[in-house]
Amino acid sequence: MHPILSDAKQLGLYLLGCLPIGILLIIGLGRPGAWATAAVFFLPLMLIYAFIGLSAFYLCRAFPIATEERTWRAVPAHVSAAATVGGLCVALAWGWARLLESLNIGLQPQLYLAQPWVLFAVGALLFWLATAFHYVLIASSASQQAERRSLEAGLLAREAELKALRAQLDPHFLFNSLNSISSLTARDPSAARNMCLLLADFLRDTLRLGAAQRISLQEELNIVERYLSIEQVRLGARLNILKDTSEQALGAKVPALILQPLAENAVLHGIAHLLEGGTVTIRAQTEHSMLIVWVTNPCDPDRPRHKRAGIGLSLVRQRLQSQFGLAGQLETGEERGEFTAKLSLPFDPPDGMVANAYA
Amino acid sequence: MLTPKPLTVVIVDDEAPARALVREYLEQHADVHVVAECTNGLEAVKAANELRPDLLILDIQMPKLDGFEVLDLIGADATGVVFTTAHDDYALRAFEVHAVDYLLKPFGPERFAESLRLARSRIAQRQPIPARELLEAHREGSAIDRILIRDRSQVHVIPVEQIDYVEAQDDYVSIRAAGRSYLKEQTLGELEGQLAAKGFVRIHRRYILNVSRLAKIELSEKDNRVAILSDKTELPISRSGYAKLRELL
Repeated sequence: MHPILSDAKQLGLYLLGCLPIGILLIIGLGRPGAWATAAVFFLPLMLIYAFIGLSAFYLCRAFPIATEERTWRAVPAHVSAAATVGGLCVALAWGWARLLESLNIGLQPQLYLAQPWVLFAVGALLFWLATAFHYVLIASSASQQAERRSLEAGLLAREAELKALRAQLDPHFLFNSLNSISSLTARDPSAARNMCLLLADFLRDTLRLGAAQRISLQEELNIVERYLSIEQVRLGARLNILKDTSEQALGAKVPALILQPLAENAVLHGIAHLLEGGTVTIRAQTEHSMLIVWVTNPCDPDRPRHKRAGIGLSLVRQRLQSQFGLAGQLETGEERGEFTAKLSLPFDPPDGMVANAYA
Repeated sequence: MLTPKPLTVVIVDDEAPARALVREYLEQHADVHVVAECTNGLEAVKAANELRPDLLILDIQMPKLDGFEVLDLIGADATGVVFTTAHDDYALRAFEVHAVDYLLKPFGPERFAESLRLARSRIAQRQPIPARELLEAHREGSAIDRILIRDRSQVHVIPVEQIDYVEAQDDYVSIRAAGRSYLKEQTLGELEGQLAAKGFVRIHRRYILNVSRLAKIELSEKDNRVAILSDKTELPISRSGYAKLRELL
């Protein structure tokens, strides 16, 4: 639908804008002393022409001025369209003059038909004006849309961050940890104190770090290790941790708390379901200007699928999407009792270092 | 002076600190005897079966079998159970619907003593936990992924996709899966509801069929229809069962 036709207010403004053009025609082409004839002849024609001019919108849409080659291809189309409209103008003028004459109200509009080339030229040139007007209209609405889209994307990203942060503080984890502390207080006070400190540090990090904030992978791994040592108090020998990270990867900057949900997933839906437990392995390295982190854990293929499972992973995906677009990916897979989460994102070097050095 | 028989207790929790805490709290109660500690649901079912304890202190989130599945398997014997759990809305709703006592981790010694007192009076009155109602409230008619069957002290876990068909046998159902039959104390109607979303159809008053096992339907004498399974087993199809099958296929 035409943007001007679909809005009564805009249509009114547009027609009002055509009025001065009509007046210019009367002044330019009208004969002195016969102004009334000129007005009666040109103003209705101008009104009809205003609607013909709107059709330029569809031409502009078919030939957007996005790329240079397309612009050149549009020239013959614009020329032939203007010629058609010019011819149409002559025909309309002729018909309108005949109609006015037949009314016998003492007007002699046929004198304007003596110079059909002038009418043709006016019609064609005004159509080019309409074309230019529509290109401007389309460009401005496109930029408005782009602005709205970027606002929406920003809003979505912030929402995802908030959800991610809220999910980070899993109440289940907190209550279980408090229960472990409660148990340790009587039997092993120093272990209880240690667990309190671990939990406090973990909570402080989780609450302090804004989700959009970038921290080094080393810092992120510290948070993950703190989380895992808390879970180790609960799960005991069932939970083991193995790390294999390159020096380069450790310096990379990552969105805060992007890895922790993967470790949590490995414990809650992997190790916790195994009688003998197992090892959570975290590997990180850089590959062609990308940072790749793998989190693998053994899992029970027959474990009951909890409703909440997968929420943490989908939040990580949303955050990657909002911050890196297609360049940030989380792939997960389960094979022969082993679950793997592979996180890949653009390698963001530590401050003061050039990304190309690692490319 | 007459000493009452001590209360025998089994502690079930996969986390060592949680078990230690319950043990510590129980030390305050002289007439309680801890007969076993189990680190998972399978051990719990075995211990409940072999030791016949008066009371199970049962955690909900555990590997292999969760607390509800343990309850499902020990069902009729579940006179005394105190459930323990960290925050989990989903599980708690079931307890609240049937006014079953539970302990929210972390819990203190007073709250624990109160639970123990409630459990004792329940045991003294031989008033069992409403196990079936509790399980139903927990599942809330949702589809199940697997069926658990206790065979003496052994537990069989049967993924529903391995089941060929289920046959009603008095108070039991006979579940045919992977060339074997398993008996479970359950009604066919109950199972029908749980399996409906998994591609199973009640084709007869006495049979639920896994539709993916159906090879063909044949007409037998007197307008009756018979389902022929891919392993050549023949099952009768009732009129309404045929209507349901046609709707699905």
